[in-house]
Amino acid sequence: MKQITPIKIGLKIPKNPDDIQEYTKEVIETLSSNVTITEDNRRRIKLILVELVTNSIKHSEDPNAEIRLTINHPQLTIEKVDVGLQIKFRSAEQIPFEEVNKTIKVDFTKLNSLNIKIISPYRFKFLDAYRENMDIEHLPEHFGFYIITRASDNFEYHHNPWSKENTFIVNIKL
Amino acid sequence: MIAVSSSSKEKTMKLSKQTINDVLVIVIENKEANLSKSEQFKELIFQDIEDGAQQLVISFQHVEYLDSSFLGALVAILKKLLPLKGKLVLTQLNKDILNLFALTRLDKIFNIESTLETSLQKF
Repeated sequence: MKQITPIKIGLKIPKNPDDIQEYTKEVIETLSSNVTITEDNRRRIKLILVELVTNSIKHSEDPNAEIRLTINHPQLTIEKVDVGLQIKFRSAEQIPFEEVNKTIKVDFTKLNSLNIKIISPYRFKFLDAYRENMDIEHLPEHFGFYIITRASDNFEYHHNPWSKENTFIVNIKL
Repeated sequence: MIAVSSSSKEKTMKLSKQTINDVLVIVIENKEANLSKSEQFKELIFQDIEDGAQQLVISFQHVEYLDSSFLGALVAILKKLLPLKGKLVLTQLNKDILNLFALTRLDKIFNIESTLETSLQKF
């Protein structure tokens, strides 16, 4: 451990998918200069960054969208923050949720269903949707949130209705 | 603040193809299998399938990383082959890409082989 106090780093998100790999390399180098990262965690962080940035390029129109890193050893928090409309589901309840502390299934797009746990009216946690013996015909064709859920220790979404900030929050134990 | 300059990297899918013993072997020539190419990749392979190719090997020997959109394209190709009784083998995946398949458990769905030679033995 090289640092005792939390370190906060803000990183503007690239707009071109072909810049993502170079971006993730630079982010991980920045992290490595502040804290020791194992090979396994390096892979997990890279997958998470690729998917958060890809999600931003696909869905966010905010030119100031950014990745925020907070190292509070042994906890690493990666946040993707943008200003815009809250996340919408194709079915099920919408934010703000009326009933908290329950699990529901939501469809983000066609062939992209996930289970979420409602934490507060404006916050939910992604749950691991893996099922054994899933047949090919019913396999999803969208894996971004699923990859982040499986690569992280905790993955949540929060919408601030006043500032209109959307935040995807990922936690990893270093 | 980290800023990555706009790149001049290839935005189009580059594939090389050859048929070996009725198996279409497709080598992805790009280093990045990502959002900017996944839809084009899917359409190109769908066209090959519609043209009669049902035994496919896709080689990732040049690919450094693969994202969720490309993973989705591979699943769509597998689904397209299913009613045709076709077969798809993925080969020459690097350690990071293999790790992604293991993480998503898609390694249990796809046929993955380490070499082209062992891939062709699956048909």
